[in-house]
Amino acid sequence: MPRVLIVACGNPLRCDDGLAWRAVEDLHRLRQQDVEIIAQNQLTPELASPVSQVERVLFLDAARRGQPGEIRCELVLPVHASGAFTHNFSPASILSLAHELYGKAPQAYVISLSGECFDHGETISATVEAALPGFVELIVRFTEELPRTCDRHSPLCL
Amino acid sequence: MAEKRTIVIDPVTRIEGHAKITLHLDEQGEVSDARFHVTQFRGFEKLCEGRPFTEMPSLMARICGICPVSHLIASAKACDALLAVRIPPTADKLRRIFNIAQIVQSHALSVFHLSSPDLLLGMDADPAKSNLWGVAEKDPQLARDGIRLRQFGQQIIERLGGKRIHPAWVVPGGVSEPLSQENRDAILATIPEALAIAVRTLAWYKKISQAFREEIGSFGNFPSLFMGMVKEDGGLTFYDGKLRMGDASGNLVADGLDATRYFDYLGEKVERWSYLKSAYYKPKGYPDGMYRVGPLARLNVVDRCGTERADQELAEFKELQRAAVLSSFHYHQARLIEILYCVERLEQLLNDPEILSKHVRAEAKANALEGIGASEAPRGTLFHHYKIDEQGLVRWANLIIATGQNNLAMNRSVLQVAKHFVRGNELLPGMLNRVEAVIRAYDPCLSCSTHAIGEMALRIQLLDPSGQVLNEAVRP
Repeated sequence: MPRVLIVACGNPLRCDDGLAWRAVEDLHRLRQQDVEIIAQNQLTPELASPVSQVERVLFLDAARRGQPGEIRCELVLPVHASGAFTHNFSPASILSLAHELYGKAPQAYVISLSGECFDHGETISATVEAALPGFVELIVRFTEELPRTCDRHSPLCL
Repeated sequence: MAEKRTIVIDPVTRIEGHAKITLHLDEQGEVSDARFHVTQFRGFEKLCEGRPFTEMPSLMARICGICPVSHLIASAKACDALLAVRIPPTADKLRRIFNIAQIVQSHALSVFHLSSPDLLLGMDADPAKSNLWGVAEKDPQLARDGIRLRQFGQQIIERLGGKRIHPAWVVPGGVSEPLSQENRDAILATIPEALAIAVRTLAWYKKISQAFREEIGSFGNFPSLFMGMVKEDGGLTFYDGKLRMGDASGNLVADGLDATRYFDYLGEKVERWSYLKSAYYKPKGYPDGMYRVGPLARLNVVDRCGTERADQELAEFKELQRAAVLSSFHYHQARLIEILYCVERLEQLLNDPEILSKHVRAEAKANALEGIGASEAPRGTLFHHYKIDEQGLVRWANLIIATGQNNLAMNRSVLQVAKHFVRGNELLPGMLNRVEAVIRAYDPCLSCSTHAIGEMALRIQLLDPSGQVLNEAVRP
């Protein structure tokens, strides 16, 4: 298994919600060694298995909060989820399931880019389009090494 | 004197889609009536009008994130009929592999993720624990098996179609790309593990199901018709064949039915209280023509599965009840037997000497103005029916989805379970969970099944910002 797993999440038919899929297109072109990329519309329990097999997992997603074009990186820790629904898995619950079933929850981060338009459509807003290169650059940095500004024990914003 | 009351279960959990159940209680607190309401509306029959028919498979795959392949297959078969072509033999086999892989992953979702909390933890378990985490805590191997089996099916779909959800690989006239040897070998290498999981889970299920005798006796345990597609030799098939209608005594009511003449023997009725149409067998009328489709129905009407291990399990299954297996609780066991069959059948198809052939698509323009495609989806028989104009634009579409065909039986099952378990004067969570669990046994896919427009009761209100009704239109 590769060292790093990238999980891109979002709906490419809802404009900026699909920005992680666009980032994945750029990441595929880089052909990074030791990196596996999965793009999905939503997080599902099946991710627990590949997540448990890597050293680091990066969840890429569009964010509604913040200024459009703003890039954030947050540490994720496993959180045991409960409830009747399986349609709303979070990165934290995927980590928890990985630990529960496979005994390992790797280091994990959510790297997000704030979107501007979440309407029906396959186009990315100009603001997000302009921010995508920086988003991809940050993801690549996280696949190579942990940036010095990253505090393992608290959320951070770059 | 006590008043009549209504219990509403909203939403119904651990199913695909959105629904609610209402239980009507009489003055004594006993259940007098029950209804399963589908509260979402998709409308694909209408929104596809005006689109080029060649877009239909990809468009129809968007109906569902769980069973997009079923819609791809039925839609592509309808488009094959519009082209008036016979697709290459290898394309036929590759579509079968694709369809079977999806049956595995969809059935695994139903058994492991949605119903195993009830089966493993019990119907009276704490609702907060009655989920995947509860299963992982009590039996992590079962949870891992569910995840692995889903992956198995999804990875086959991804290897063939390029992606797990909404792949566009199945096209009118065949498939867009042949199977590579690398992908064939990679899939074959995963068969033994999938087979072991299927065998292990069936053994587990047969053991734990002994504890559910009361549920087996009351979960949709009533006479009905059963419909499924069969091969010429009466064997199980998910891709192509004639339709059979069997009754509760195990007799065939109709055999050799042409799926492209479905409108001669299947009718649909709209009820005011649900967006889901109710299909019925026309010769028996409505609602007496109630029939069930899906795993339970398929195994009731086939003579054999056609693979060694699945046939052994089928023989055991047919002994569960006298004549036809009537209890909808047994959908679970039928689903597991179908998973076993699919894994065995996948190995056969992948070892077919023609499977790597590069001839996988027949090219043609539209040669007919009407086309019908039918196949077996995880939840039952699926029909896509299109009419196009001379320019190849869709002018009319009709979709008959498995879940709609089970609608009458699901409603009757809810009533049966509610009458047996629910006591309105001392309501307990386990009582209501059983009402939901019988719906889960059918594994309805509601996102797939609500497409009719212009027939159902509608109430549209125009509200101002304060919530005051400015205008209202009602269609009874």
